[in-house]
Amino acid sequence: MSTSLPKEREVDRSDHIDQPGTLTGSVLPTALDRSADFWRRMALGGLAVSLSFVVAAIPIIVSGKNPLLAYWALVRGACGSVDSIAFALNKSTPYILAGVGVALCFRARVINIGAEGQIAVGGIAASWIVLSATALPGELLIPLALLGGACAGGGWAAIAAVMRLARGVHEVLGTLLLNFVGLLLVSEVLHGPMGEVGAGFPQSPLFPEQAWLPPLIPGTDLHIGIILAVLAVFVFHLVFWHTPFGFRLRLLGSTDAAAAYAGVSIVRSLFSVMLIAGALAGVAGAVEVLGVHYRLIQGFSVGFGFNAVAIALLASLNPIAVLPAGLFFGFLETGALAMQREIGVPSSLVFVIQGLTMVFVLCALGISLRRQRI
Amino acid sequence: MSRDATQPESVPLPMLEMRGINKRYGAIRANDGIDLSVAAGRIVGLLGENGSGKSTLMKMLFGMVKPDAGTIRFKGEILSDHTPREAIRAGIGMIHQHFMLVDAMTVVENVMLGWSRAGAWLRREQVAEQIRQTSRTYGLELNPGALVGDLPFGHRQRVEIVKALLRGAELLILDEPTSNLSPPEISGLLVVMQRIANQGRAIIFITHKLGEVFDICDEVVVLRDGRVVGRSLIANATRSGLANMMVGREVGSGLTRIDRAAGPDVLVVRDLGLRDASGHERLHDINLSLREGEILAVAGVDGNGQTDLVDVLAGLKFPTTGTITLNGKNLTRTTVSNRLAAGLAYIPVDRGTRGLVPGMTIEENLGLRDFNRPPLRRGVWLDHGSFRKQAKANMSEFGILASSPDTPVQTLSGGNQQKVVVAREIGRKPKVLIACQATWGLDPGATRFVIDQVIALRNRGGAVFYISSELDEVLMLGDRIGVMSNGRLLGVVPRTEVDITQIGLMMAGSGSELSTLR
Repeated sequence: MSTSLPKEREVDRSDHIDQPGTLTGSVLPTALDRSADFWRRMALGGLAVSLSFVVAAIPIIVSGKNPLLAYWALVRGACGSVDSIAFALNKSTPYILAGVGVALCFRARVINIGAEGQIAVGGIAASWIVLSATALPGELLIPLALLGGACAGGGWAAIAAVMRLARGVHEVLGTLLLNFVGLLLVSEVLHGPMGEVGAGFPQSPLFPEQAWLPPLIPGTDLHIGIILAVLAVFVFHLVFWHTPFGFRLRLLGSTDAAAAYAGVSIVRSLFSVMLIAGALAGVAGAVEVLGVHYRLIQGFSVGFGFNAVAIALLASLNPIAVLPAGLFFGFLETGALAMQREIGVPSSLVFVIQGLTMVFVLCALGISLRRQRI
Repeated sequence: MSRDATQPESVPLPMLEMRGINKRYGAIRANDGIDLSVAAGRIVGLLGENGSGKSTLMKMLFGMVKPDAGTIRFKGEILSDHTPREAIRAGIGMIHQHFMLVDAMTVVENVMLGWSRAGAWLRREQVAEQIRQTSRTYGLELNPGALVGDLPFGHRQRVEIVKALLRGAELLILDEPTSNLSPPEISGLLVVMQRIANQGRAIIFITHKLGEVFDICDEVVVLRDGRVVGRSLIANATRSGLANMMVGREVGSGLTRIDRAAGPDVLVVRDLGLRDASGHERLHDINLSLREGEILAVAGVDGNGQTDLVDVLAGLKFPTTGTITLNGKNLTRTTVSNRLAAGLAYIPVDRGTRGLVPGMTIEENLGLRDFNRPPLRRGVWLDHGSFRKQAKANMSEFGILASSPDTPVQTLSGGNQQKVVVAREIGRKPKVLIACQATWGLDPGATRFVIDQVIALRNRGGAVFYISSELDEVLMLGDRIGVMSNGRLLGVVPRTEVDITQIGLMMAGSGSELSTLR
């Protein structure tokens, strides 16, 4: 689907006159190739990002600061040094992992907004494994912990999926409410069985060193999590576009009636996609505790899951576009602190930029999303 | 009502005059210099195939679409840049093919909805009285207190008509009003239309059914490819003349039905019953056996269990009682994919939300039901090459007009979309084809194509179960013919023994005569 070259612009002469909804299709190229479409969307995304920076300059100017200097500080803060790049990549990792899962779910019209809770329980499970199997060597312990995180995240999502399938509780409600439970569970275990005795802050004891994610570039903080994230993006890009399972998800994304007609088991597909998204979010949580904090701390993942939803939408639900969208969020948030430090523009301005980008991207892609979302 | 062609001066001054209406969509001229005038008290038929521009013209009249050029004069006043609301205020009413009614509200409430003259305070009784009055005048027989959701299709249409009349419509536009009605309902509607015209109101009647034009219209305007290709008083028109104008070619009549003795039973259905979630019986004791090389065609008004029956046969719903066997194999509770593998194809009624995925490409839609089997699947991967190959073969065999197999299906015309469905279902060379309203919303050319394909399949030895609310189609296609009414399959007889009156009665729900038909 992404191999052939863009086709000649052609106007289909068959009549559409009785169907106003399809009229745009006759004016636009009908044989729009998916890869051409992808680059067009990327360009639109870039435009949306630029616009959001322009608009975000207004509050900076109002506060008496120079937006160009502020943005320069932002850029330097994000990619001015190897350390800052490493920091930004680490920050992007959980966003990308969870974002891919959310994008897959949304594509299948499964509105899973539960990455927040799934990340949290993934972190708990990974921490628990690492803290209880301290004798194991790193080569075994790390995969085991990641797997544990995946299982916990998947299981957490499965609860919502079962509620939906067995009792008809909509997954928006199920996943949303389980988020609060998941976040509170982190506090619960830190104030209870997994808390470090005598620490002033709700946190677990430091993990044994062999459980820390190994650095990707020695001498920096950059850990191998980013490899997992990039791998997940490419694997699920392939799964989505080139396997029967992905085809099922896309069918599910159209209508239930069409999916059933095509012989797709809605129950099984919905369950699997939730499980996958949950597992990816769980791995994100595991990576965060194993690669960044080396311990479970309270609030280690607050906001990650909601950012993942934003990133999936920013990527217009295209698994492969989650990579640039996630990196954008990661680098932006990394640069924010430098901007605050150097220019005195509050780092929360970054949230304004994120929000504006979302608005612009959704506006720019809104029409094409409606037309070619499947 | 004058039908005298020789005295044009007796025709009253036009109520509506549309002059030189142009509308382009991209490279397509939807309307190209159309003139239309309608006089008070007249019924004007607007005849044309799908895509001939009649809906576009009416949408411009009703203010839903802006014309590129041309003038619209209604009762002496120019209408330009108007909204539907302004059109209604001026005295134009439009009955759309898809009703704009709220099921959960009563007739009175639907009439009051969005009607400024109903006042800021709801006066149900007063409006109900108005409805009763109008109902009496025009013979509509509406109960103002009834819930719209409970009304049969024909009555909902009447609610729309009352709505338009009470809002002061002097010109009524009826967009294919007869397409979902049973024969008795159609004659009822025609009586109502006549009464409306007798009251000095005018009607524009959009249709592609010639018979109705001759039954009711005073004059007829034929559109093709966005132009007026003919207009005439009905007294001067002939059926074949209008048909040829409409399609712009001679309509072939000889079907390729060959005489063919039906073979052994293929699909056997015994005592099938279906109860929905709320406990209503949707299907009762359906028994049928479908033989090799025959078409069992079933007539019936929409909503008498047809969709339930085909869904049950296709495996989208499981029956509450009874069995379905295909070549001796029990399929009653098997999945859709197993039925597909057993050779059961299905053309569902709704190509927009079930039969096709509009956002997917032609090749993906052609592979919609077989993507999980070789050759479209190779190991864990989809074989895009096979998708492409199959699509190219199907597109040329079934004449699907598109620039390439990766054209999204939603950009195709309705006829081409249905060709995709037909190509997929018949192209897989099924043992049994279940088809429900397979020609719904298609113009005569595309309808003909679908029918030819179904007959070709039957000639090759396929068994076809064909459900339609178009009686003509059922009579033309069926080797044996039956009627669905109230969830029952009635009076299945060979085509030589068909009694049209009985079929009409059974369709209209008076199935008590069933005993006389074995």
